[in-house]
Amino acid sequence: MSAVLIALMVLPFAAAVASAAAPMRVAKVLTVAGGLSTFGLSISLLESKGDAAALAGWLRVDPLSLVFLLAVAFLYVTTAIFAVGYAQPRSSERETRHYSRRFFAGLNLFAWAMVMAPVVNGFTLLWVAIEVTTVVSALLVATDDTDGAVEAAWKYVLIASMGLGVALLATLVMYYAGTASLGGSYELFYPRLLAAAGHFNPEVVRLAFGLAVVGFGTKMGLVPVHTWLPDAHSEAPTPVSALLSGALLTVSFYGILRFYQVTTRAVGPAYPRSVLLVFGIASLALAALYLARQRDLKRLLAYSSIEHMGILAIGMSFSAPIAVVGVLLQVLAHAAAKSTAFFGAGSVIAKFGTKELERVRGGIGALPWSGPMFLLSVLALSAMPPFGIFRSEFLIVEGGLGSSATALVAVLLLLVTIAFLGLSWYASQTMLTPLPSGVVRGEVSTTMALSMGLGLAALVLLGIHPPAQLSELLTRAAGELRGAR
Amino acid sequence: MSGVELAPAEIQVLQDLTILVFAPLLSGAIAKIESRLQGRRGPRVLQPYYDIAKLFRKETLVPEDSSFVFLAAPVVAFVCYLTVPLLIPVLTSFPLPLGYMGDILGGGFVLALAGFSVALAAAETGGPYAQLGSSRAMTFGALIEPSILFVTFTVALVTGTDLPYFEAAAVRSSLSQAVRPAHLLAAFAFFLVVLADTGRIPVETHVSTLEFGMIDEARTLEHSGPALALLKWGSTMKQMVLYVILINVFIAPWGLAGSRQLGPVLLAIPAFLAKALGVGTIFAVIDNAFSKLRLFKITEFMAAAFLLAALAVLVLYLGGG
Amino acid sequence: MESLLAAVTAPSAVTDAAETVAILVLLSEFAMLRSALSRSQVNLYAFQSLAVAALAFIVAAERHVNDLFVLGSLSLLLKVVIVPAILSRVLREAPDDVAGSHRLGVASMVMSAIVLSGFGIFVIGTMPIHSKLLPVLALAIAAAVILVAFLLVIVRSDVVSQAIGFFSLENGVSLAGYVLAAGLPLIAEVAFLFDLLVAVVVFGVLMRVHHGRSASLSTRALEKLRG
Repeated sequence: MSAVLIALMVLPFAAAVASAAAPMRVAKVLTVAGGLSTFGLSISLLESKGDAAALAGWLRVDPLSLVFLLAVAFLYVTTAIFAVGYAQPRSSERETRHYSRRFFAGLNLFAWAMVMAPVVNGFTLLWVAIEVTTVVSALLVATDDTDGAVEAAWKYVLIASMGLGVALLATLVMYYAGTASLGGSYELFYPRLLAAAGHFNPEVVRLAFGLAVVGFGTKMGLVPVHTWLPDAHSEAPTPVSALLSGALLTVSFYGILRFYQVTTRAVGPAYPRSVLLVFGIASLALAALYLARQRDLKRLLAYSSIEHMGILAIGMSFSAPIAVVGVLLQVLAHAAAKSTAFFGAGSVIAKFGTKELERVRGGIGALPWSGPMFLLSVLALSAMPPFGIFRSEFLIVEGGLGSSATALVAVLLLLVTIAFLGLSWYASQTMLTPLPSGVVRGEVSTTMALSMGLGLAALVLLGIHPPAQLSELLTRAAGELRGAR
Repeated sequence: MSGVELAPAEIQVLQDLTILVFAPLLSGAIAKIESRLQGRRGPRVLQPYYDIAKLFRKETLVPEDSSFVFLAAPVVAFVCYLTVPLLIPVLTSFPLPLGYMGDILGGGFVLALAGFSVALAAAETGGPYAQLGSSRAMTFGALIEPSILFVTFTVALVTGTDLPYFEAAAVRSSLSQAVRPAHLLAAFAFFLVVLADTGRIPVETHVSTLEFGMIDEARTLEHSGPALALLKWGSTMKQMVLYVILINVFIAPWGLAGSRQLGPVLLAIPAFLAKALGVGTIFAVIDNAFSKLRLFKITEFMAAAFLLAALAVLVLYLGGG
Repeated sequence: MESLLAAVTAPSAVTDAAETVAILVLLSEFAMLRSALSRSQVNLYAFQSLAVAALAFIVAAERHVNDLFVLGSLSLLLKVVIVPAILSRVLREAPDDVAGSHRLGVASMVMSAIVLSGFGIFVIGTMPIHSKLLPVLALAIAAAVILVAFLLVIVRSDVVSQAIGFFSLENGVSLAGYVLAAGLPLIAEVAFLFDLLVAVVVFGVLMRVHHGRSASLSTRALEKLRG
């Protein structure tokens, strides 16, 4: 299994390097190949029951990280396929080369960094991987070179880097917490920390966890440190928006979960739960309000991401084990649903030439395949059956009721309903209206539609009948997260 | 000469006399250094004495409508400047009996009373420049006050008292006390306070005759004769008192008399004058190297002084410092 | 009087030196708040980095931690030489004046920064953290530096100050690292530094793009996206 981990480390990076040198056509093939191989390798790790290590323990996969790895790898594939149709030649040969090099190399590098984050072992490398995602994706956000893109990229790189500075401080504080029992110099490997966490100074661990939530929460888009998120999501090229929303946010969530794991063992679950609850409620509430009134299609989806991140944080604050399973399932389902929605938005924007919700009408008529699929993905985002998010949010709510947090569940449901109303209102306005004259019926690109189909298929699979291996993986990951051994 | 032991009261009187007699000398010497730095020959070192003597021979003119305050203020201020030397270590390293009469804050209050009475007299005259000067002086005085307060807190945290003698003793006790960050910060903050309070660049051009930029100087514009002489004398004394606190409490509390013997006590006078001349040179250099701040930028200077003083307290909060 | 003096415990000279250097780090952060030229902003950053590196050397020499010598030299090279050089290169054609970018008056800015520093120092003061290598004050000051760096990014609306704000935040974290994690394996520290270098390049690219588009360093043009 260690060969798989090394391959995961090498392949996307090789794809990035190669696509920097190759012409656009080849770069597209390389990107799809990188995505497919990464996804295949991740699936093969399912066989190992999620236990593999390589490079003297520096690379390590356990059930928890495998969940996130699967989400990232799946998005890597679908985004790569989408990007094949998305990336169009520019006005001149030279510009095309320049654009292709920057876009595809960046895309692969971004995916590589996000693959590495769950695969590396230890807080230090985790931080490094997440910081690499920031700098790479900031350049990707700026690819389009418009005023909006530059503004969004600047805000994003500044705010996210500041946040990660705090996360680095959290890592150092966590290191300090360990020095008392692990000696003056040690590696911050997870198993070692988890084994020793019982002896850590609770005050120091609390400080570390608080800093980690603020730090990684900035990248995850938790309110009130979410301010970069709608800008970056709306101004970035669509494949990048999909990766940002579907994978990057959850990878940052993974960082928080790693701290959660240690903190729960050191100070008990009450403290980390209440911290996450506060941030979760704030995110959900603010996102629901912004969803109810929005002008920009991609910003609409961005706020829906914040909403989902809020639900993840709230889900972690419930004590019933089933809620944690729901949270992890939500990570996978969110990745599939949000990327599909963004892909649909990409097709709509390419078709209508605008992101403004007011000016997009008759989407179903204009886009025979992507239109309905976009509508379905929005329904999936709003937790409609039979899609995966319905199942995951159902589990979370069940967990909430099981931990007798009835009032909280009521608030959760109310806010989710508001979000649902906003999302579905705008979706029906843009899709289910008569097609204005002058818009030609037809898909923008087959591969763009194909990537949406893949996402929906995965959503249905997760919603109706998740594979047994996956269910087992989720249960084990949830168990690890909660400290049961 | 050794063997002659002075009574504490005698030393106390000697402290006052030192300030009274040598203050104009110090001002004259600093003015001389300043003009030398600017490539001028400058006035004689003894010029302030001549000025004061000349003014005492002139008649006093009192503006119409002004009350007794106008004439009383210079005297009150002068007495205030004579009171403060009783509280601070001018010549001896050990506290004299009256030293317990007031702490740094007490000394600050007495100095503030002097400034207040001068400002009051200036406001009384109805002269526009004098009033402008007094309102500015009170404003900036209020702004620099927090810094003085925090410097006092620092002293209190270091020594457990806020008597200047004990701070000086703490600094003398070991080199690491003298270079500990809190002390450096507080000393530098107090340096800035002195800079502002003696009307130096970058806050004020003390030799200027341009009324618009004046702060302290403008307050005395309406005075004349002996009253003005007292004010001028008083302002040199104020400068020297502030130098004493800066040098003998914060920067270099060495060279003070350790006993009541006449010899060491008398020796402490030239020792202090030498130190004061050194500090005065620094002030003169600053005067030449910087330009005056715009009036509205003076708050930034005050903010910097406050920053240092506040940091000193914060640093001490964590024990170390 | 003797008893009063006995209560005054004088810290050791090394501690004093370390604390003074740490305070210099914080003071340069304050100077960045006020600085009116982009060039002096970069110079202040170089000075601050120098102070942080000096602290590493002090600890390394005093406590014989050889890793810290390597780390100190690396960060000296990177943060005192390379990063300022990159920034000066990026800013070569840009206007030097960033004086008008304060959103607050200088005095109120300094007051807010003092309050923030006080908060940081008090919070660290309540933590049960002790280090054999450095006084805990250095950690408290690191916290203050980080908070003031946030203020710097918020109250200054020009790209240079904001970028420097982030870099100096990283300086604050490094300072904290010397107290909290002096034993952290060298490879991890080097990875952090490398990350910083990459971030600097990205910041530089974006600054140049921004300057190329708007011919200014102000971020007031970057306030269009809302909602």
